[in-house]
Amino acid sequence: MSTELSADPDVRGDEDARSVVRRARRALRGLDRRFLPVLGTVLTLLVMLGIGQQRYSTERVDFVSMKLLSNLLVDNSYLLVLAIGMTFVILTGGIDLSVGAVVALVGLAIAELFTLGLPLPVVLALGVLIGTSCGLLIGVMVQVFDIQPFIASLAVMFLARGLANVISVNSLKIDDEGFSALAAWSLKFGEGRQLWRINASMLVALAVLLIAFLILHYTRFGRSVYGLGAGDGGAAVNLMGLRPARTRVWVYVISGTCAGIAGVLFALYTKSGFNLTGIGMELDAIAAVVIGGTLLSGGVGFVLGTGAGVLVYGLIQVLIAREGLESWWTRVFIGVVLLGFVILQRVLVVRRR
Amino acid sequence: MTPTQPSTTPAPAGPSRGADIWREVTHHGLFWPVVALVALLLACGIASPGFLDVTVRDGHLFGQLVDLLRNSATPLLLALGMCLVIATGGIDLSVGAVMAIGLAVSLTYLDTAPDPSNVGTVVTAVLLGLGVGALGGAFNGAMVAGLGIQPFIATMILMVAGRGIAMLITQGQITTVTSPPFKTIGSGFVLGIPTPVVIAVAAFVVVAVAVRRTALGMFLEAIGINREASRLAGVRSRRTTWTVYVIAGVLAALAGLVYGAPTMAADANNIGLMKELDAIMVVVLGGTKLDGGRFYLGGLLVGAMLLSTLERAVIIFQFPSQTTPLFKALVLIAVCVAASPTLRAMLRGRRRADRSDAPAAPVETVSEVTA
Repeated sequence: MSTELSADPDVRGDEDARSVVRRARRALRGLDRRFLPVLGTVLTLLVMLGIGQQRYSTERVDFVSMKLLSNLLVDNSYLLVLAIGMTFVILTGGIDLSVGAVVALVGLAIAELFTLGLPLPVVLALGVLIGTSCGLLIGVMVQVFDIQPFIASLAVMFLARGLANVISVNSLKIDDEGFSALAAWSLKFGEGRQLWRINASMLVALAVLLIAFLILHYTRFGRSVYGLGAGDGGAAVNLMGLRPARTRVWVYVISGTCAGIAGVLFALYTKSGFNLTGIGMELDAIAAVVIGGTLLSGGVGFVLGTGAGVLVYGLIQVLIAREGLESWWTRVFIGVVLLGFVILQRVLVVRRR
Repeated sequence: MTPTQPSTTPAPAGPSRGADIWREVTHHGLFWPVVALVALLLACGIASPGFLDVTVRDGHLFGQLVDLLRNSATPLLLALGMCLVIATGGIDLSVGAVMAIGLAVSLTYLDTAPDPSNVGTVVTAVLLGLGVGALGGAFNGAMVAGLGIQPFIATMILMVAGRGIAMLITQGQITTVTSPPFKTIGSGFVLGIPTPVVIAVAAFVVVAVAVRRTALGMFLEAIGINREASRLAGVRSRRTTWTVYVIAGVLAALAGLVYGAPTMAADANNIGLMKELDAIMVVVLGGTKLDGGRFYLGGLLVGAMLLSTLERAVIIFQFPSQTTPLFKALVLIAVCVAASPTLRAMLRGRRRADRSDAPAAPVETVSEVTA
């Protein structure tokens, strides 16, 4: 599914300028090169679904069902949003280590703001804005002060974690009525064991995915993001008349905003804020992006691939749980899958030369 | 080329020696970290009067400053390996996980050994732990140098999987043993000086001599500047890079042993958690840039001390200890921004130099290396 969709914009975007033959040749070559990692992701997803179907289907209930997909999305909606923001940053060749801490900060801030009696929309907006400002801080440090993204986002990670600890070191329960209603709201489909749901966080995550897809593939800004990943410090983007400096700040703002949204979604998921949530969540997001076929060196990758990467990530956890293995096996397996993908990407890059 | 002990330069900043020297000192990469360290130490000394006192009890050194040194040992060991890796243009995110694995292996061996208090058994346990660290480093090195995978992602694999592996070794339990010789590694004294400090300083001296008294340091910087050029110039870049990751792995395992020895409990979930970030922070505070190609070992001493002083200062000033990350962030941001050339240019009222200037410097240095 994701490969077809992501093939579309590149073909369409260049439509007017190039002849049909050249376009066809480009599309074919493009498919070989850039879509192979994503194809690998989709293939892995299918293999894992196949294994699951083989092992855990009973006569009455299929493993692969709308219920599985719905559960995967409900459980990983916050990770999907984080990974989407991370995709923007990684496409420019940067990294954002702050997102996990921002999720914790936003969760606690929301819980605290509700106790002040602010209305629901204001609280949610403020939660997202906290993420945005964290992202802006990283962007300014990276662009204006020329600090490496790794260090800049590390500093903001410490900052957000510290601020979260200042708000509270205990778990704060969120018992706002409107918030609980939003968390509990869902559309139900099917019956009995096949019952599956669409809830608010799923819709938000999918909306973010759609918007990110449109921005990355159909706007000038999206082109600049890919251009910055070429690794020449934005010189090429600058020569093309695009704005490298502004773009570089914006990708961190986007990633921070996504972290803010993810913080809200995580709060909806757990109905509380806690200062120790999200430790290592940035690595989950980065791993999902890499599994989704985006190169950490920047410039290559698709946000829909990231979507597939998150599904693979969630499916690993489901399979481990179904298999009855201890939870630490999850980390080992994620490491192994990551290893496989990194080597696959490496092989593809070498063959290209 | 680069000063071996840059930490000594900012101290004798006599204004009488002229504006040139003052300029040189303030422009030194270590100026702001040293200022921050001295300011913090003085502030702590004022807030808590006994802070700067060092006393001798039973022939051992005691006092807050000695505790600071002891606490600096783990980050210093980690940062030593990290600094060498960063010099080659890489990064090692797995050191925290390797700490956990090294300690888990050592303590599990001690746990199953018939006599955990036997010195021979302890030595075997330590060697086993270090060996596992070397193995982890060898894996990282093979990924980076052999397969040419980006260091960030290559070491992230072990970072993610490593903690799971440590949990497998300890069977998900917190393995605890009682072994006085092993405990000495973390809480004993050698000639009155805490053992961790002795271990860390010994490791520092060995590494410093190895990289600054031989050509190794220059090879590392050459690789960090341009791997291909260094290879063409006759540096065995692959083998050298691999070796550096192995060294980082061994030092990480050693740090794990030193860190875990006082409690003798292998808590695979929490030992070394986020320590890789502390180590990278120490390296950056020490004036080394993450780009690779330049590194300052002396800065690590300042960085490690700054980190542990900061952690202690939070307690002395009676902030909740959980707010430590906040202050780490403030120091990191302040030091990075203060050291950023942009700020200097801004203060002088000049426009920021174009980004395209950046590649010019490495080119010169490469020719210097090849010559």
